[in-house]
Amino acid sequence: MSDVFHPLVKGLLDGEATLAELPPELRAEGEEALQLLGLVDRAPVTLPAALESRVMAEVRRHAASPLRRAWRRLVEPREIELRLRIRPWAAWGGALAAAAGLALLLARVREPPAVRAVQTASRDSVYVRFVLFAPGARRVSVAGTFNEWNADAAPLVHAGRGGVWTVTLALPVGQHQYAFIVDGERWVADPAAPAVDDGFGKRNSVIAVTAQGARTL
Amino acid sequence: MRPLLVALLLVAGSAPRLTAQGDVAARLDRRVPPPVARAVTEIAAGAAARGLPVEPLVQKAIEGGAKRVAADRVIAAVRALATQLEGAAAALRASGIEHPGAGVIEGGAEALSAGLDAEQIGELARTSKVPYDPAVTLRVAATLASLGVPPKQTVDLMEAMMQAGRTPNDLLSLPTQVQEGVARGKTPAQAARGLGRGAEHAPWAHGSELPPGQTKTKTNPHKP
Repeated sequence: MSDVFHPLVKGLLDGEATLAELPPELRAEGEEALQLLGLVDRAPVTLPAALESRVMAEVRRHAASPLRRAWRRLVEPREIELRLRIRPWAAWGGALAAAAGLALLLARVREPPAVRAVQTASRDSVYVRFVLFAPGARRVSVAGTFNEWNADAAPLVHAGRGGVWTVTLALPVGQHQYAFIVDGERWVADPAAPAVDDGFGKRNSVIAVTAQGARTL
Repeated sequence: MRPLLVALLLVAGSAPRLTAQGDVAARLDRRVPPPVARAVTEIAAGAAARGLPVEPLVQKAIEGGAKRVAADRVIAAVRALATQLEGAAAALRASGIEHPGAGVIEGGAEALSAGLDAEQIGELARTSKVPYDPAVTLRVAATLASLGVPPKQTVDLMEAMMQAGRTPNDLLSLPTQVQEGVARGKTPAQAARGLGRGAEHAPWAHGSELPPGQTKTKTNPHKP
């Protein structure tokens, strides 16, 4: 028996042709194939009783939980058919709005506000150096009307030995009140500057910043 | 239809005020305790309705919060400042300045707080003509008075300086000079008197850009 039947013989086995339709030289091979087919056991197959339950258990094991099904429904791509009926005037309106938005965006890009702010600050600000002699202090900062009394905004650095703390800030032209904060809790006025009542029973130092420089008022 | 129109107009009219209140509340958020924020927002709304600047009130509240001042004390200080702003605005209007700017009102309030009276504030503001800024003049006067210079003498000194044609920077340097005089043992009044006497005859009186005590050509008289 040959391992592989002729394609026409395979067609015979598949019912696509009859033995008479085969060429004479293939009829013997066709008969042999039909005999082999007749020998196949066509008795009904009886499966073991436990097989069905085992298969179903396996199917249930792989079946998705409700949560997973919901997740899949959310994330898995699905085909959606969208039908739009657009009136011409709406299309033109949308196009005009998009063009206006683009023009606004481009205008903003052309005039960067940050750069302008920096230029203004550089023109209207003066660098002022604050110095405090506070030996033994662990940290010192300066707060005032120029930084909305933020005690953390302007820390002073220890300038070498001897308890001298210093920081240089760009302050806007005008008059400012300020105080030093020593170790995060003690507010002290600048001993080198005039001071005024702060309204809370303590004193604020006063500094005047002009275009020509700064001086303690 | 008419009631609806009236309601719309009322809403439109109150919108800026509500926005201003919202701004104040937002700026005070987490900087002062909630009761202080509520009270200051209310005070600021009242001040804005009377045409007074709100920023000094917000700054004072923030300052109090930063310094961890007790809530009632912060509220009292803000309320006192609002009263001073109103007094200053009234004094300025009485002196003929119909629409004083926020800075001038704030300077006037500081001067009032330092001990100047309404008449003196109006007088100083009237005298401060270009190139002098009335806001700066009032603030300098407030600082001088805070240093202990009597109010009358403060006003006289400021006016003498302006009449002598001193630069605005010369005015700004006055408190520092008073403080230097006090550091040398003078009383504030004596230190200010010395400045007043020297105002008309000092070599830096006219046209000098450098304020007193900051001339770079100063030589040591003891050096041969």
